[in-house]
Amino acid sequence: MRLAAAQTAALARRSVVGTLRTPQALFPSLFFPLVLMAIFTGSFGSAPGTIPGFPPVRGFLDFALAGAVLQGILIGGTTAGAAFALDIEGGFFDRLVASPVARGAILLGRLAGGVALAMFQTLLFLAIGIAFGARVEGGVAGVALLLVLACLLAVAVSGLGIVLALRTGSAEAVQGTFPLFFALLFFSSAFFPRETMTGWFKVVADLNPISYLVEAMRDQIVVGVEPGPTLIGLGVVIGLAALAVTGCALAFRRRLAAAP
Amino acid sequence: MDHAVEAEGLEREFKGGIRAVDGVDLAVSRGEVYGFLGPNGAGKSTTVRMLATLLRPTGGRARVAGRDVVAEAAAVRRSIGVALQDAAIDPYMTGRELLHLQAVLHGFGRAVGRRRAVELLERVDLEGAADRRVGTYSGGMRRRLDLALALVHEPEVLFLDEPTTGLDPISRLTLWEEVRRLNADSGTTVFLTTQYLEEADQLAARVGIIDGGRIVAEGSPAELKAQVGDPTLELALERPEEEVRAAEVLRRFGELQPSRDGHVVARLPGGASALPAVVRALDEAAVVVTGLDLELPSLDDVFVAKTGRRLEAEGDDPTHSPAAAAT
Amino acid sequence: MRHALAVSAGLAWRSIILVRRMPSVFLPSLIMPLFILVATAGAFRGISLLPQFAGASYLAFTIPLATVMGAGFAGMNAGMTMARDIEGGFVDRLVVSPAPRLTLIAGPLMAAAMRSVFTTTVVLLAGLIGGVGPPGPLETLAVYLLAVGFSAAAACWAMGVALRTRTIQAAPLMQVMVFLAVFTSVAYAPREVLTGWLHTVANLNPVTYLLEAARAAEFSALGWSELWPGLAALAGLLAVLGTWAVTGLATLGRR
Repeated sequence: MRLAAAQTAALARRSVVGTLRTPQALFPSLFFPLVLMAIFTGSFGSAPGTIPGFPPVRGFLDFALAGAVLQGILIGGTTAGAAFALDIEGGFFDRLVASPVARGAILLGRLAGGVALAMFQTLLFLAIGIAFGARVEGGVAGVALLLVLACLLAVAVSGLGIVLALRTGSAEAVQGTFPLFFALLFFSSAFFPRETMTGWFKVVADLNPISYLVEAMRDQIVVGVEPGPTLIGLGVVIGLAALAVTGCALAFRRRLAAAP
Repeated sequence: MDHAVEAEGLEREFKGGIRAVDGVDLAVSRGEVYGFLGPNGAGKSTTVRMLATLLRPTGGRARVAGRDVVAEAAAVRRSIGVALQDAAIDPYMTGRELLHLQAVLHGFGRAVGRRRAVELLERVDLEGAADRRVGTYSGGMRRRLDLALALVHEPEVLFLDEPTTGLDPISRLTLWEEVRRLNADSGTTVFLTTQYLEEADQLAARVGIIDGGRIVAEGSPAELKAQVGDPTLELALERPEEEVRAAEVLRRFGELQPSRDGHVVARLPGGASALPAVVRALDEAAVVVTGLDLELPSLDDVFVAKTGRRLEAEGDDPTHSPAAAAT
Repeated sequence: MRHALAVSAGLAWRSIILVRRMPSVFLPSLIMPLFILVATAGAFRGISLLPQFAGASYLAFTIPLATVMGAGFAGMNAGMTMARDIEGGFVDRLVVSPAPRLTLIAGPLMAAAMRSVFTTTVVLLAGLIGGVGPPGPLETLAVYLLAVGFSAAAACWAMGVALRTRTIQAAPLMQVMVFLAVFTSVAYAPREVLTGWLHTVANLNPVTYLLEAARAAEFSALGWSELWPGLAALAGLLAVLGTWAVTGLATLGRR
C-alpha cells in the first residue's frame, strides 16, 4: 500500500512536470479563460444592478471568476487525457503495465497530476481576480470548497480523457472532445446568469450539470458558503467524477485483457 | 558553345557560417545527362535549389539555359522543369487535377492543358490512376507524377533531386527507363542528384562527385574509374593443384593479388580487351577454369580514393550487385 | 495580366477543393460561426435588457459578430493552408513556375473571400430561422462586403505569418491574433456600455468600426455616417496587412 502510494506520487510528479515542460499544452488553459474574463468584465461591467434577474454582486469580475476557473479546468483536463494517449502511443504505458507498478497507481498518477494542476490554476485565477478587486465572500472556507469542486471536476474531465485514450490509443481522438466541452461550457450559466436566459437555450442550460457546478463555485465567491447550492454542485461533480473513474477502471481492465 | 547549366564558384552559406555549397564549378552541355553524386549533406540539394532559382546563392554565379539564375530568374523558370526530393504533391487532389493546375501555372489555355495532361499521363503510365487522389498513390507513382508535372511545359533542362530515393527496385528501373527515353527522344538536358552509385553509373554521361560542398572529382563514369585503378581478374580453378601454373600465366599480364584457395587474382591493366589473350594463354598451359570474373573499380572506389570514405555501406543500394560483370 | 488572373483562379479553386475534401477543416469552418451565433445570442441575451439596447434583439445584434468571425476563420485557413504548402513543398512548385509571385497571395485571398460569402449566408439563414429577417438588399450587401473584406484582411495576416515562419506550428499565432482583434472590439456589447480597459481598446480597434457598420446595416439603420468608418477601418486593415503579406513573399528564396 505504501509502495502504491509512492508510485502514484512519482507518476503524478511526472505528469505535472511533463505538462509544465510543454508550454503549448499549458498556455491555452491559462490564457483563454483569463482573456475572456477580462473581455466579459469590460463588456458587461454595467450589467450587475441594472439588469433585472442579475444576482447581486460587487462587480462583474466577482461574477466571472468562477466561469474562468471552470473553463481553465475543462481545457486543462483534455490535456491530461491527451498526454495519457501519447504515453500509450509512445509505448510508455506498455512499459508501466509490464512492470510491477500497482495498476491503480498508473491511473491515479495521471489523475492526481491533473488535480494538482487544477489546484494551481484555481489558486492562480483567484489571486489574479483578487488583485483586480474581486473578493471571496466565503472566506477561507469558500476558497477551500471552491478547490474541492475544482479538483473533482478535474478528476471528471481528465478521467473522461483517459477513458478515450485507453479505448482509442490516439491523442487526436482525445483532443477531438474539446469541442464537446466547449459546447457544454457555453450552453451553461458559466458566463451569464441563468435567470436572464429565455427559450430553449434556458432549457438546455437548466439541464446542463455544468450550470449547477459553476453556480456552486460562484456562490463561494459572491454569496458565501451556502448549504443549498453548494450541496447541489458537490453532488453533480461527485457524480461526474465517480462516473469518470469507474469508466477508467473498466476501460483499463478491458485494454489489459485484450493485450496478448 | 552555350552550356545548358553553368556555374562558377557557386556558394551558399547559411546562418551560423555553415557552407553547404563551397565553390562549385559546373559546365553541363545541352542534351547531356549529368549526375551529381554524393552522400547526405554533401550539398547536392542546395546546389540544385540554387540552380532552380529557389534559393539565392551567397557567392559565385550560375547560368541555366543561357540565363543568369539571379538576374533573369523568370526566364530561367520558363526553361526548367523541377522534380524535387519531397515530391511536392497534394494528397487530396487527383493526378489529372494537378497536371491541369500545372498547365494553368504555365499559362496554357484549358484545351491545351487538358491535352498535355492526357499525353503526359500516358507517357508516365498513370492513365489508370489519373482520377484517383494522389494520397492513394504508391511512392513510385508519385515520383512518376512529379516527373510528369515537371515536363508539362517541355523544359530544356530538367532537375531531378534524388529521383529514386526510397523506391523499390522495380519502380527505380522504370524511372531510369523514363529518364533515358526523355533524354534520347526530346534531347532534354537532365541534371540529377543521387546518393546511389548504381544510378549515377547507369544514367549519367558525366558524373560530378560532391562532398562537403565541393566537387572532388568529375568525368564520365568510365574515366573516373580508370583514374582510380585497373580492373581485377579473378579465376576460379577446377583443379586447385593448378594454382601455381595459373598464377604463372596471369603474372605475365598483371600484378598478382592475394586470393582464396582455388582462386587466382591479378590486376589486368588491359581490362576486357586483354581477356582473349589471357584465355588463350591459360588454354596453352592446359589450365581449366570454372569461373572468370572481371571487376571494374566502382564509383565507390573513386569516392574512397578522393575522400578517404566509402559513399555507401554494403546494404544501401538495393540494385547494387556485389560482383559486376565485365564491361 | 490574363495569365495572373488565370493562375489566381486556379489556385483559388484548389484552395476551395482542399477545404471541401478535408473534413477536418470543412466542418469546423461551417459549425464555428453557427456556434458563435447560437451560444452568444443564447447566453448573453440578458444584456439586451440594458436601457441602451432599447429592446433590440440580441440575436440580430450577434449576427454581424458571427459573420465577421466566420470571415476571420476563412482568412485563417488561407494562412494555414499556405503554411502546409510551404512545409510540403507545393510552394516551391509555384515559385519555379512562371506564375507571378502575387498570385500566391491573390489565389488564396479569393478563396477566403468566397468561403466568407458562404459562411455569411449560413449565418443569415440561421438568423432567419431564429426569427431575424435580413435587412434590405443594400444593407445585406453591406454585411457581405464587410465580411468579405475582413476575411481578406485576416487572410493577409495569416499568410504573412506563414511566409515568415514556414511551418504549420505557427497556426495558433494566426488564430489568437484574429480572435483578439474581434473580441477586444464591440463583440458582446455596444461601445457605450463598455467599461474600463475594454472601452479604451475598442475605441482604437479598427474591427469595432467594422462591426458597428455591419450592425447598423443589420438593424436597417445604415447611413453614410455609420458606413464610412467601417469602410475606412477595412481599408486601413487591408493596406497594413496587405503590405505585411506581400513583403512576406520576398522572404521566399532568401532562407
